[in-house]
Amino acid sequence: MVASAVERDLALIEEAEALAKKARLAAAIFSQYTQEKVDAIVKAMTSAAIEASQELAIAANQETRMGLVEDKTLKNLVASEFQYHQIRNKKTVGIIKEFPQENMVEVAEPIGVILALAPVTNPTSTVIFKSIACAKTRNSVIFSPHLMAANSSNQAAKILYEAALAAGAPRDFITWVEKSPRLRQVTECLMIHSQVDLIFATGGTQMVKAAYSSGKPALGVGSGNTPVYVHRSAHIAQTATDIIVSKTFDNGTECPSEQTLIVDAPIAEQLLTEFRRLGCYVCTPEEVEKVSSVVIDSRTGGMDYKFVGQPAKLIADKAGIDVPADCKIILCPMLGELRQHKLVVEKLMPVLGYVIAESVDEGINKTLDINYAGGTGHTAGIFADDEDVIEKFSDAVNAGRIIVNCPTSIGGLGGVYNNLPTTLVFGCGTGGGNITTDNVNFKNLLNYKRVPRRSNYVMGFHTTKDIYINPGSIDHLRGLKTQTAFIVCSKSATRRGHLSMIRERLPAETHVEVFSDIGVEPDFATINRAIKIMRQSKPDTIIALGGGSVLDAAKIMRLFYEHPELKLSELSVTFLDFRHRLAVFPEKSNVQLVAIPTTSGTGAEVTPFAVVSVSDEDIKNGKQSNGSNGNGNHHSTKRKLSLIDECLLPDIAIIDANLTVSLPAEITVDTAFDALTHALESLVSCYASDYTDGLALEAMRLIFEALPCVLENPTNTLWRHKLHNAACLAGMAIGNASVGINHALAHSLGSVFEIPHGRANSALLLSTIAHNSKIPRKFTVVSTYPLWIADEKYARAAQFLNLPIAKEQGADLNSREGRKQASILALKRAVFDLMETCKQAKSISELGISEEAFRKALPELTTLAFHDLSLRTNPSMPLQEEVVQVFLDAYPPRRRA
Amino acid sequence: MKQETKTCKITGSLIGPQPEIDKLIASGKQDLVIDFSECVFISVPGLEWLTDMLSKAGAAGIKVNYVAIPPTLYKVFKVARISNILDACGSPIAPASGQVC
Repeated sequence: MVASAVERDLALIEEAEALAKKARLAAAIFSQYTQEKVDAIVKAMTSAAIEASQELAIAANQETRMGLVEDKTLKNLVASEFQYHQIRNKKTVGIIKEFPQENMVEVAEPIGVILALAPVTNPTSTVIFKSIACAKTRNSVIFSPHLMAANSSNQAAKILYEAALAAGAPRDFITWVEKSPRLRQVTECLMIHSQVDLIFATGGTQMVKAAYSSGKPALGVGSGNTPVYVHRSAHIAQTATDIIVSKTFDNGTECPSEQTLIVDAPIAEQLLTEFRRLGCYVCTPEEVEKVSSVVIDSRTGGMDYKFVGQPAKLIADKAGIDVPADCKIILCPMLGELRQHKLVVEKLMPVLGYVIAESVDEGINKTLDINYAGGTGHTAGIFADDEDVIEKFSDAVNAGRIIVNCPTSIGGLGGVYNNLPTTLVFGCGTGGGNITTDNVNFKNLLNYKRVPRRSNYVMGFHTTKDIYINPGSIDHLRGLKTQTAFIVCSKSATRRGHLSMIRERLPAETHVEVFSDIGVEPDFATINRAIKIMRQSKPDTIIALGGGSVLDAAKIMRLFYEHPELKLSELSVTFLDFRHRLAVFPEKSNVQLVAIPTTSGTGAEVTPFAVVSVSDEDIKNGKQSNGSNGNGNHHSTKRKLSLIDECLLPDIAIIDANLTVSLPAEITVDTAFDALTHALESLVSCYASDYTDGLALEAMRLIFEALPCVLENPTNTLWRHKLHNAACLAGMAIGNASVGINHALAHSLGSVFEIPHGRANSALLLSTIAHNSKIPRKFTVVSTYPLWIADEKYARAAQFLNLPIAKEQGADLNSREGRKQASILALKRAVFDLMETCKQAKSISELGISEEAFRKALPELTTLAFHDLSLRTNPSMPLQEEVVQVFLDAYPPRRRA
Repeated sequence: MKQETKTCKITGSLIGPQPEIDKLIASGKQDLVIDFSECVFISVPGLEWLTDMLSKAGAAGIKVNYVAIPPTLYKVFKVARISNILDACGSPIAPASGQVC
């Protein structure tokens, strides 16, 4: 009785279903196996494959009538013996690789059920190779053989499966589609079966295409068309031998085998003579026509599959050419337009085209003609001793494996002539429509689970190396090693007598140049003017004498004086992690920078930061320019850029309070509140450490103690000294922990309304403490900040300052939380009281900014603040609306909390 | 009338049918709890028996629950994707596919 179409369809589905179910159970069971068990199974399979290598080669040869038994035997051994040699000690279970530097491990996860196609050209070796690779990776495999090679392929699968089973492998972990007229349809059912996890495709173009079209992940291969360039530096006799070994291997069925030679003209005749001597036949142009008409299918333009793996004599006979019975290869000169030549395509038989090239460039270009004629991404070869030629060739040619001074067929298989992974599956990358250019091997049959541990960032502490800290310490300059000093200062340095104090102390023989044009906010044009002068005087020392602006300007001058090639746009990037860099900052400087602060605020003498006012033109020009008028008055087109790197740190800092006694009260207060803000922000920063905490707390203590005393008695050097030290300590703290939301908002406010930096900081400080002492709506994304402790740290500051903790109504001072909240309140009150004592602005409204102007500017203020680098190191990640809210909270006049 | 639930423990390697459990199911008297806490390995025949046993129990109106399953074995059940085994484990149904990213 003849089965109906429906019955046939049902039978197909049932067969596919049964195979898939068996493979699924086996894959599940395999997941329990240990490495030792897996390796024992692989060993047993390898042994069985080696034992059966000749038997299977004979079976394949008899069934397909392709290739040579001897070479098929060798291929079976490559797939078993050579593969085993490469994989025997490789880990495929559990942790398979450790990356100690990245603090990460890789853990293997089997793929599951693999549908593996086996080609007619390598029906047994492919099965051996894939079976062993699947066992090594604990996958189950269903083989779909080529119809014309199904018996031999399935025989190989059976031999390996039985050996594996005897060694303890899961039942049915290797199965196969039986040979039948419906083999192709069963395979198609399996390709889309839900139980199949991956298609491991090797074979005809149609099957590989079907695999890729199935919607399943697929490891496929592409077409080959191997070009081989023979350069004049090659060893001719070895080249000829290697090519013959390769092209005759299994009668040319290996897809990485040579298809067209590109021979350097000076050695062409010698090479052809050697080929002839070794038993190859070189055709005349007329004979090439005859060969082409036989081996090329005129309908498709591709090779005629009837001649795949056939001996040279048989092909020559078909073409009507008289060659000896043992002719090894038929060599065909490809004259005329190469890209149009019939033989430019792949020829998996002992027919080899060749062309002559007059130069290396022509040789590589002709190689590319072949490479892009259907074999992109597959294999190419070169014979040369000239490393430059090999590198140039490798750079140009698109091939997953570029075989050097070896037979490309056996060389491409890997393991015999070189250390490529052994394979029978040649990934061709995107050039061949594949996902990989690998010699596909067991590593491609695993899912890799990456297990990264939390990064252990190396937290460092960097500051200025030599710091001289007592009143009168500018005397250190007397012993300064310098021949030419460049003093950077503002006009007030002369007025306050500081400049002469410095000049008097420099060694008598020192040549001194002074640049005193630094304004309140130095711009890049001014810095460039200074650098131009430096280029004349060639200083070995820069002495920065002044407030933060002067010190920052001097840092940038040194950088661009020594490295004019640097680009501003690359030096200043608002990274999420403030330790990241885009530009390569110099590691060493030949010009020493001596920083002598004359205000007690920024701490710039010990920080790796520098802020500069720039125009769009400065950014566009990128590098150091000739500058313009340098007055920096174009507020509308200027913006501030922050540069950060340890190379900006001065070499020497002199913290001499004698230089601050003449500082006006208003500037004393503004700068002191800048320092207090530094201390409070660095304390809670997400990059704070035990090192910066100590500095921040002590800086706070000194400010609370010294600032009122300085205001009472401005010429008292002791209190000035304490305040000066406080600013320096806070500078060290921010130099390593950075600041936070307060500075982001203050930069914005100062920029829009031209408010002195310290005063802008003050106006926002109480709102910042209120904001940062609450559990945030969004925690910050910084791995060094694993716990929310900003509130605890504010409380710790209050305790360190020994502030009176008052019992508020409803507060429970016996509870940890109650004590914490009371401490934070005490801190807020202390800051408020200090501001009150110093008559410092406590809110934005006290800065003389009308509410109307403030509200109008609020969008701009928010945008600027949101892009400020300082925001990145705040302990919480403020949302835009929270930034707005902190601004709004900071506006109205404040009352004591 | 059905008696109280009986707990059966599988120890060592489960490499095939467990006659005692099969007998309990055949008797149809008790719901079963299968304790895997001391099971260290399951083979393909073992897995097949687990699913067959559940089918027979279902037909006999017997409820079978798998408990104390070590992760290695639970992974076997997950990879095997056999619905009645996953039901017996109380495994949730796979969710509909969501956003691909």
